Amino acid sequence: MDNTVFIIDDDASVRDALGLLLGLRGYRTSVFADAASFLGALRPDWHGCLIVDIRMAGMDGLTLQRELMARGCSIPAVIITGHGDVSSAREAFRAAAVDFLEKPLDETRLVQAIDEAYARQSATLANQRQKEAFLRRLAELTPREREVMHLVIAGHHNREIAEELGISVRTVEVHKARMMAKLEAESIPQLVRVSLGVGDDK
Amino acid sequence: MAHRLPHPLNAAAWFAAFVALYVLLDWASFILPLKHLNVTPWNPAPALGLLFVIRRGRPAVLALLTAILASDIFVRDIPGNLTITLWLGAILTAGYAAMAWLLKRYFPDGGLFGDRKGLLRWSAIVIFGSLANSLLFVTSLLATGLLPKADWGDAVVRFWVGDGVGIFVTMPLLWWLQDEPRRLLFRTILMRWETLAYSALTLLSLWIAFVPGAEANFRYFYVLFLPVVWAASRQGLAGAVFCVSTLQVGLLVAGLLQGSEEISLFELQMRASLLALVGFLIGMAVDEQRRAAAELRQSLRLAAAGEMAGALAHELNQPLTALSAYGSAGKQLLARGADADQLRDVIQRMIDEASRAADVVRRLRDFFRTGATRLERISLPELVAGATAAFRAKAQEAGIDFSIGAMPAAVLSADRLQLEVVLRNLLANAFEAVADTREVRASVALTAQVDHGGYLVIEVADNGPGVSTALAEQIFEPFASTKSSGLGLGLAISRAIAEAHGGSLTTEIGGGGRFRLKLPLDTRNKRDHG
Repeated sequence: MDNTVFIIDDDASVRDALGLLLGLRGYRTSVFADAASFLGALRPDWHGCLIVDIRMAGMDGLTLQRELMARGCSIPAVIITGHGDVSSAREAFRAAAVDFLEKPLDETRLVQAIDEAYARQSATLANQRQKEAFLRRLAELTPREREVMHLVIAGHHNREIAEELGISVRTVEVHKARMMAKLEAESIPQLVRVSLGVGDDK
Repeated sequence: MAHRLPHPLNAAAWFAAFVALYVLLDWASFILPLKHLNVTPWNPAPALGLLFVIRRGRPAVLALLTAILASDIFVRDIPGNLTITLWLGAILTAGYAAMAWLLKRYFPDGGLFGDRKGLLRWSAIVIFGSLANSLLFVTSLLATGLLPKADWGDAVVRFWVGDGVGIFVTMPLLWWLQDEPRRLLFRTILMRWETLAYSALTLLSLWIAFVPGAEANFRYFYVLFLPVVWAASRQGLAGAVFCVSTLQVGLLVAGLLQGSEEISLFELQMRASLLALVGFLIGMAVDEQRRAAAELRQSLRLAAAGEMAGALAHELNQPLTALSAYGSAGKQLLARGADADQLRDVIQRMIDEASRAADVVRRLRDFFRTGATRLERISLPELVAGATAAFRAKAQEAGIDFSIGAMPAAVLSADRLQLEVVLRNLLANAFEAVADTREVRASVALTAQVDHGGYLVIEVADNGPGVSTALAEQIFEPFASTKSSGLGLGLAISRAIAEAHGGSLTTEIGGGGRFRLKLPLDTRNKRDHG
């Protein structure tokens, strides 16, 4: 599914107007009248950006944000409010909000916030994808190759690994070469990065 | 003052008027003098002198001396020679001037107390000042040989009581009468039928205390407290001052007419001062309490306005947000050359939002216009329908059973906007209270009935956690809310509004929230709301 702007606001006109505007600016939009209906419809493959009003009947915006974090949903949120007060802003950012905008909204800032949210979302997604690929490749390693990998990541030299595993240095080199090929790692540092789950593809 | 005289002339006119008034007052109160001296059981003229010196400062001291000397010459045909008269007059003037200086120092507002603590300090200055004055004056009399040595003690007490009671009772009255704004206020407070009623009671009490015979002075004197307490508790200090002054004159006249052997005028005066003290204390307490209530009402009204403004600002933001988003959308449509129909549709929506914003502004204006309670006749079913409309939709969305009982066809004389605020507040609280209800279906009920006392009782009940004893004491206090949404003043304001309508707002402790709004059905009696 493509990136979508999910608008959650209990005011019908605000929903409608934001939906229309963002639609015209080329964003895919989807609107919800309250937090409960959004949570009810939420699917794991949804991504993009949330625009959430703080003050809503039923579950308020900040509670929704926390609930989404608890569910492991990684869609970044832009919080909007009729009367911005410091404490709700702090709470919103603590729950990793992208931005905190006051109503009436400034179009430029709104679009900036959405784009930033999209960027954050794609970074997260790419990271996630890389991690998944690495895990897939990791599964192809033999037990011996995996042992060698752990020792390489731990920073041991071939000779130390040979001693540790009770095999010849030559055999270690073979295992290591195969392991590197299977994991599509070009260098030891890159391997270390990817295995720590913080690697980037640049 | 309509005609302002040039300054020196003006001062001279005041000077002359004061001396004339002083002599007149002294002449009127020159009763039962001790050996034709300036020692009488009731001496109100010094009160006038004190006020004059307090008001006009140092130059007035000369006027006071002139007045005292004039009194000695015209009222009491001087017992000694002129030097002695001058000497005694100077001593008295110095004593009064010192008292005036003390009073002015502690009571910048014209020398009269403004609260109960001040009353005690004021009494102390008057009582001990008079005592000091009496000692000084009577001892001087002794020195001039006008008074036999044996009479010294008696004379000191008599002078003390006469002056002390005279100042104590008369000064507050003169203070009220000394200038136009105070006179007007005094008159406004006293211009009631009730004043006539307690004045009649004053006469009746005087009759009871004096007419049945001399021994009644001892036995029935306490009856005289009744009108004083009545006046003070209903009209505050002004009523007390008026009633005490009336009683003072009545006591003197009655005492003189009776000429009793068993109770001297001095003893009567001691009692009069006690009456005055009790009256002033009650009056001051009543005034203080009223002032505090008025201040609280004022701050609650301001808080209500702020609360209302906050709520409306939020509501105003919604149409503004939509409006600006529609505007941006319109620009986008124009940029990509959209057809007229699409644009017309967006413009129509903008117009709708603008009128929604206008509605909010109108409500804000309405509130500030009716910031003071404006009573109109409103029917209960209409009021309830207006206040509950938003909650019906909300109940459906949130899955709450919201029931509205049958409304009696009652008509209230009330401020529609303010009562709507109260009802909405109670309903919002109830909805919030049941928001976390899980085991049973959440329900909120609004019912109304007319009770036996002619009151309309509107009840908002919910099946949420209810109000605990500890909470019940707090929730009506301003700023005591546990909520972070800024509605913390809600219940305090609601109660203030209910009370401003002559009703009440109470809660019941126990399972489930239960708030009872009581409003009078028949509100023909006037209330003052500022």
